[in-house]
Amino acid sequence: MTLEKRLTRRKFLGVSTGAAAGAVAAGAIIGGIAGYFAGQSTAPTKEVTRTVTTTVAGPAQTVTKTVEKPVTEKVKAGYVYVGPVGDFGWTYSHDLGRKWADARLANVESTYIESVPEAEAAGAIETLLAEGYELIITTSFGYMDATAEMAEKNPDKYFVHISGYRSGAAGNAPENMSAAFAEFYQLYYLNGLAAGAVTKTGVVGYVAAHPIPEVIRHINAFVLGANYAYKKRTGKNIKAYVNWLFSWFDPGKTRTAAVSLIEEKNADVLAFTEDSPTTLQVAEEYTTQKGKQVWSLSHYGDMTQYGPNSHLTGQIVNWGPLYLEFYRMVATGTWQSVDIWTRIGDYLPWRWRLPVEKSTAGKPEGTVYLAPLNPAIPSEWQLEIKRRYEEMKELLFEPFSPEGNLDQPIRDQAGEVRIGPGERADHDMLWTMDWFVEYIESELPKV
Amino acid sequence: MRSALPLIRVQRRLEVPRRVSAAVSAVFILLSFAVAALIFELMGVSSIATFGVIASVFTNPNLLLQAILRGLPIGLAALGLSIAFRMNFWNIGAEGQLYMGMFAATGVVLLHEYQGLIAEPLVIVFMVLASFVAGGLYCALSAALKAKMGVNEVLTTLMLNYVAILFVDFLVYGPWRDPKGFNFPLSIQFPDYARLGFVMGSPSYEGLAMLLVVAFLVYGLMRHTTLGFEMRVVGESPEVAKHAGISYAKALIIGGFISGGLAGIAGFSVVSGIIGRLRPRASPGYGYTAIIVAFLALLNPWLIIPASIFFGGLIVAGDLIQASLKLPFAAVQIFQSIIFLFIIAGEFMKRYRIIVSWR
Repeated sequence: MTLEKRLTRRKFLGVSTGAAAGAVAAGAIIGGIAGYFAGQSTAPTKEVTRTVTTTVAGPAQTVTKTVEKPVTEKVKAGYVYVGPVGDFGWTYSHDLGRKWADARLANVESTYIESVPEAEAAGAIETLLAEGYELIITTSFGYMDATAEMAEKNPDKYFVHISGYRSGAAGNAPENMSAAFAEFYQLYYLNGLAAGAVTKTGVVGYVAAHPIPEVIRHINAFVLGANYAYKKRTGKNIKAYVNWLFSWFDPGKTRTAAVSLIEEKNADVLAFTEDSPTTLQVAEEYTTQKGKQVWSLSHYGDMTQYGPNSHLTGQIVNWGPLYLEFYRMVATGTWQSVDIWTRIGDYLPWRWRLPVEKSTAGKPEGTVYLAPLNPAIPSEWQLEIKRRYEEMKELLFEPFSPEGNLDQPIRDQAGEVRIGPGERADHDMLWTMDWFVEYIESELPKV
Repeated sequence: MRSALPLIRVQRRLEVPRRVSAAVSAVFILLSFAVAALIFELMGVSSIATFGVIASVFTNPNLLLQAILRGLPIGLAALGLSIAFRMNFWNIGAEGQLYMGMFAATGVVLLHEYQGLIAEPLVIVFMVLASFVAGGLYCALSAALKAKMGVNEVLTTLMLNYVAILFVDFLVYGPWRDPKGFNFPLSIQFPDYARLGFVMGSPSYEGLAMLLVVAFLVYGLMRHTTLGFEMRVVGESPEVAKHAGISYAKALIIGGFISGGLAGIAGFSVVSGIIGRLRPRASPGYGYTAIIVAFLALLNPWLIIPASIFFGGLIVAGDLIQASLKLPFAAVQIFQSIIFLFIIAGEFMKRYRIIVSWR
C-alpha cells in the first residue's frame, strides 16, 4: 500500500514538474528559436547589410536596425585528439560528437588535429590559435595542464578540456577553461547486471587501460552489477579478474590480456576500457570458432558488427550535446566556466523515468546510453536493467550504495566498509576511487 | 656471357670532403620535398599551399617559438650524441638518458617541496646539474661496460632506454604520485621557480640560449682541449690512441658521461620547459630524433642548432597541416617519414658509392 502511495505521489510530482518544465521549456524553445533567427539575421557582415538596404525586401529590413556592432563571425572550434579518428573508440566517438554538434549550429566551423602525443598538446593548441580558432577542445586527460597553461596565456580564447579536473569553475584553472566528461559508471553497472545474468562460470574479466580513478570506478561498478545479478541467481559471489594494459590503445596487448582472462581465469564475460573492438573480437572468436560462449560489450560506439554472437550490450557516448553547449556559449557571448559531468538522463528533452515496458534502454539518447540489449539476456534481467536505467534518469538509484549490492555495505578487498548503510558515493569519492570491491581477485597496482 | 642483370656493388668511400657531404644532404632534403610534393598532389592537395603552410611555421613568431621549444630537447640530446659519435661510441640511448634527466630534475623539485633542502632560486640550477649527472651516469654505465668488458654499446644503451622509461612509470604510478592529483599518474605540478619561461614568458628564449651555450661548450671541448683531442683520436682509431698513451677507457667513460649528461639536460628541458611535471611517456621519442639530427648536422655542434629547430618545426608543421589543410595524421606521418628516410639515404650515399657494372 505504502509503495503504491509513494508511486502515485511521485507520478503526480513527475507530471506536475513535467508540465511546469514543459511550459518553461516551450517558452525557452520559442525564445530560443526567436533568438536564433534574430542571431542569424545579425550575423551577416557589413557588406550584406549594405546590399540588404539597397534591395529593401522582406524580413531583412529589420536587419539594418538591429545591427549595431559589426559582425559576429563564425564560431571557430579546434579539437585536439589523442588518437586517430579511425580508432573506432575514444577519438572516433569525439569526432562523431564534433560532426553532430556542427550539424546543429549553422554558425560554426571546426577542425581537428589527431594523434597528438600528450607531451605536445601545447604546440597543437598554439597551432590552432595561430590559425584563428577561438574555442579549443582537448579530448585527453593528458592535455589538461597544457590546456590550462594556454588558457592562461590566451585570456580572450575559450578552452574546454575533456576528462580532467581543472577548470575555472573548480578554481584550479583560469575562467576561460571548462571541464566536461560523459560518465559511464552507471552504464558499467548495468553491463555488470547483464554479465551476471548470463555468466555460466561465475567469473567475469576486465581488460583495463590505466589504474586511474576513472577506470577503477568503472571496474568496481561493473563487478558490483555482475555480483548483484549472479548472487541473486545462484546465491554465490561473483569472481572478477583484471588485466592491465597501461595503455589506452593497444590491440596486440589487449588480445593477450583477453585470451589470458578466458584461458587462465575461466572468465566468460569480458568488459574492457581500451579504444578498439579487440576484446569483443576475441570473445567472438571463442564463441564462433572455439566452442565456448564468451560475451563482451560495446565501448564508446556500437560495436555489434565486430562480434554479433558475443555482443551483450555496452556503453555508448554522444559527445555532441556537450560540444553544442559550448558552441552556443561562445556564439552568444554567454561563456561561463563550468565543470560538467553528464550521466544517464542528462541532455534529454525531459528527465523523468519511463515505465519499464516503454524504457529507452538500448536506444540512443542523451550523452550516455546503453548499446542494444542482446535478447540472450534473460527477460527478467532485461526488465531489471531497464528498471535501473530508468531510475537512474532521476538519480533514484545509485550503483555505489548498499542498494546496488543486495542491501549489503560495499566493502573493499581488505574487508573494510567503504559505503555503509544509507550512504551513497559522492562525486569526490567517485573521482578519487583507489580501491577495488571485495569480489575482485586481482590486486590493484599500487604504491 | 653478358648477364641480364647488372652487378651492383657497394663500396665504401675513403674520405668525404665536408662540402660534398653538405651538398649531398641538401640534395636529399630537396629530393624529399619533391617526393612529398608529389604525394600531396596525388592526395589532391596543392603542394604549393602545403609548403606555404609549412613555411609559415618559420615566419609566424608564435609558431617559431613552438618550433624552438620542440627542437630544444632534440638539439640538446643531439649535441651530446655528436660527442659520442665522434668517439665511435654508438649511443642509441639518448631517450633513456633523457628520462633519467627528467627523473633527476623532478627529484630536485620534490626535495625542495617536501624537505626544503634547497634555496628557492637555486632549485633550477640544481635541476640542471642533477639531470646532467643522472643522464651522464646512465650513459657512463654503458661506456664502462664497453671499455672494460667489450660489451656492444648499441645493445646496452638501447635496452637501458626501456629500463629508464619503466622506472619513470614506476615513480609516477607509485611514490611520486601527486597526493592531490585524484590518483592520476602524475607528479605534482612544478612551481613557477622550477619552470623555464621567466624571460618574456616563453621557455623558448632560455632554450635557445641554452642551445647556444651548450653548442659553444661542446665545440670548445672537442676542438680546444686535450680531452676533446683524445676523444677524437679514440674515435679515429683505438690502436693509435693506445700507442699515443691515451687511456681508451678514460676517454670513453668521460665522453660517454658528457654525452649522456647533455641528454639528461634535454630531459630537464622537457619537464621544466614543456610539460611542467613528470608524467609517464613524457618524451615522444626526442632521443631517437636526436640521432637523425646529429647526423644531418654532420656532428657539427653549430649546425645542430638549426637542424634541431628544423625538426621541431616539422613537428609543428604536422599539426598545422592537419588543422589548416584538413589532412589526416597519416599524411603528416608520410610527409615526415619521407624526409627522415631521405636524410638517412643521404647519409648512406655519403659513406658508400654504388657501382653498377655489366659483367
